[in-house]
Amino acid sequence: MTAVSAVAPRVTPLARERADRIFDLACLWIPAAALLLFFVYPIGMMGYRSLLLPDGSLGFGNFSQIIGSRSFLRALVNSLTMGLATTAVTVALGLLLAFALHRCRLWLRIVLLGAISLPVIAPSLVQGLGLIFLLGRNGLINKTFGLQVEIYGFWGLLIANSLYALPQAAMIIGAALRNADARLFEAAEVMGATGWRRFIDLTLPNIRFGLLSATFVVFTVTITDFGNAAVIGGDYTVLAIEIYNQVIGQMNLNLGAVVGMLLLLPTVLAFYFERLATQRQFGTQSEAAVPYRPGHDPWRDGIIGTLAWLVALAPVTVVGVVVYASFMRLWPYRLDFTLRHYDIKLAGGYDPLWISIGISAAAAGFGTIFLLFLGVALKRLGGPAARAIYFVSMLPAAVPGLVLGLAYVFAFNQPGTPLILLYGSAALLAMCNFYHYHTQGFATMTTGLRQIPPALEEAATCIGASAWAVLRDVYIPYTLPTLISVFFFLFMSSMVTLSAVIFLVTPNLMLAAVTVMRLDEGGYTAQAAAFSTAIMLVVTAALLLARGTLWLAQRRIRLSAEA
Amino acid sequence: MLERFKSMLLAGAASMLMFTAGAAQAGTITVYTALEEDEIADYVALAKKDIPDVTVNVLRLSTGDLGARIMAEAGNPQHDVIWGWAVTNMMDPRILALVEPYKVKGSDKLGAAYQAADSKWFAATGYIGAFCVNTERLKQKNLPMPKSWNDLLNPAFKGEIAMPNPVSSGTGYLQIVSILQKMGEEKGWAFLKQLDGNVNQYIKSGSRPCRSARAGEFTVGTSLAFAAIKSIEEGFPLAMVLPSEGAGYELEASALMAASKNKADAKKFLDWTMSPGASGLYAKYKELVTLPGYKPAKAARDAGMPDDPGSILYKMDFAASAVQREAILARWTKEIGR
Repeated sequence: MTAVSAVAPRVTPLARERADRIFDLACLWIPAAALLLFFVYPIGMMGYRSLLLPDGSLGFGNFSQIIGSRSFLRALVNSLTMGLATTAVTVALGLLLAFALHRCRLWLRIVLLGAISLPVIAPSLVQGLGLIFLLGRNGLINKTFGLQVEIYGFWGLLIANSLYALPQAAMIIGAALRNADARLFEAAEVMGATGWRRFIDLTLPNIRFGLLSATFVVFTVTITDFGNAAVIGGDYTVLAIEIYNQVIGQMNLNLGAVVGMLLLLPTVLAFYFERLATQRQFGTQSEAAVPYRPGHDPWRDGIIGTLAWLVALAPVTVVGVVVYASFMRLWPYRLDFTLRHYDIKLAGGYDPLWISIGISAAAAGFGTIFLLFLGVALKRLGGPAARAIYFVSMLPAAVPGLVLGLAYVFAFNQPGTPLILLYGSAALLAMCNFYHYHTQGFATMTTGLRQIPPALEEAATCIGASAWAVLRDVYIPYTLPTLISVFFFLFMSSMVTLSAVIFLVTPNLMLAAVTVMRLDEGGYTAQAAAFSTAIMLVVTAALLLARGTLWLAQRRIRLSAEA
Repeated sequence: MLERFKSMLLAGAASMLMFTAGAAQAGTITVYTALEEDEIADYVALAKKDIPDVTVNVLRLSTGDLGARIMAEAGNPQHDVIWGWAVTNMMDPRILALVEPYKVKGSDKLGAAYQAADSKWFAATGYIGAFCVNTERLKQKNLPMPKSWNDLLNPAFKGEIAMPNPVSSGTGYLQIVSILQKMGEEKGWAFLKQLDGNVNQYIKSGSRPCRSARAGEFTVGTSLAFAAIKSIEEGFPLAMVLPSEGAGYELEASALMAASKNKADAKKFLDWTMSPGASGLYAKYKELVTLPGYKPAKAARDAGMPDDPGSILYKMDFAASAVQREAILARWTKEIGR
């Protein structure tokens, strides 16, 4: 596929320019309109609720009530501490993993990728259960070594949050590392730069944007996480727990909305710093770039590879012990193999699994296309509108699932408006799940698109290729691996996300993640583990199928090109 | 190029429409419930047989999740009936504003304590608070079997007790309010503060302390009888202890939504929930059936529930506990909360 094939000589340059302009604007405004309707509008409703006082008037009474409470201040300090600690650990390990995946020649690379992705495909219950099974007071480690390690609290939460954020950090940094100019590395090598120097002077500056995006995303998802904090955090109270206490514990939705609104602040601040740091241009790709292929370097591959596999061991054991326990008669007391926990009839049985797959595929499909359009449009267009849309696109991660779900009810359960048609529908669930993870997908997409040499699209445009042709022949092929990882990420996250969809499931539209929660709440922990294992199996099978199809398609293209 | 783009848009819009929800149908009602998972399937099967012309769609969520959902949808409720939901939540004025009085068939046989004077709610069943004690860990730590709340003050239990957090869990609130009502304000708070010294963790949900105890994470989880009964049935090394001071309990209340668009069928269903047939089935699962003449379920009696649960219950004042909730939780957060 080359840009030349896209030349359409019948169209006059002026008409072409107009068509391109329309195309660019459509690329921008269709996803942007959806972003407005499915994110900005619900959050606006949430903002309104945060100002709504018990007597029906508007004011800042709720804010002063929350900010003045002792528990809020403590939760705020805890959240920020946890956010910074998790970010430090996760970005460092994420860089290590991304480097291992994209800049080393590793044996079983795809298995490593799968291993670190496990926390994303596992329902949040699995991570909590796994950590308790391993490190709990009655966990395998304490029992085997006769220790008294306390997992509940700061350290347990730090481990859990890091495990969860790690694949996201590795994905974003990976998108930055994926494309590098081999000529630079060759030149550096010729001039005698060591591997370490090349890393410091070439690699790091080149991926700074990706690193900052990853930092932003990890910090944000950590301070909004609820699932880990509830199970493993013990009495270490964070802001998401404050929201839970208000909304679920005491039905004070408006006070919960206040905490949700306040949670946007650290994220806006983090975003501002991230923008400030990326203002200066650096490390753009050259048009004559030669794709970098890691060569043989036994030292680099040996050390980085070993470290990466050691890191990947953590999610594998945590998830593995839960899968193992799901086959045991009565964990941890009677360890005989049984399949009885897989005979699930309660809480909808296995039906919700298929509904979840449909909704997740829709969320990921729509989502990837929207994000590609949005990313391309923002790359091509500038101006204040584009900058505002960029900012809003990075914001959804700052909204805890619980708040997003509530916001969707407020926004779409509106009788007398066309929006009510969406309420209680699968489409709304798909949209909710996509916008919940919009930030991560968007950060990965823009990082990936940044790696495209600007001269390449200029050249394509110069020879008369339309905007659509540039998208088809330059952007899509160049960012295909990024598109795939975004699609998979959205699909996987949508399969297991819980706190938002609690507000949107209906008797006839039950989701797999909610079934897992219901089984666990009903005391069927082993069945919840079994159902989680089934989810992970189905997701893995779907991923392998998609990968296989893609590989075959690429091979056919390559073969036909060679023929 | 633009043509292709347009057709993509059209296809997108069409699939969105296909995805949208269907409208409510006659003969169909939506029921929100917090009853236990395994019970619901059985109850609904019987309801199908007894009232075949009503299709009952049930959404089950935990007490807290359901409360948030009902409040969030308050502007345009999506359900016709609340079925088996903590009465302390039901008596919240914001919820009472959403429901409509209905004198359910069979309410004349129901004690006054189990229905609202203004007929806004009635309770066919209830659940009881209990300790879940891990017998294996108890033996290993060489601890005496606790029989009462008072026994939990024993310094030997330091770090071995998990309680539900009253701020996030209705069960947690039920526990502290039963202690406060029983011992009186002053003594009650002093007791809770002393107990706090032995509590390892305040957990977010009411049944999780029991699940943690059965997994051997803690020796004692102050939790719910049904969670203990189920765990014992499954074979966990667990004992159910009903505190000798009197066990706290909660009623599972039902009500008719004022906004229901199908009140005829909603009432038919509510009548059914108080029918002898339904109560007979409750007795298969519940430790507390409010109609006179029903013994607790067999599994409950096997786990140590007496034939007349009324004899071990502390007589709760639900109206007071609903009214004082905010003040009690504020004080708990200030003096004990972590």
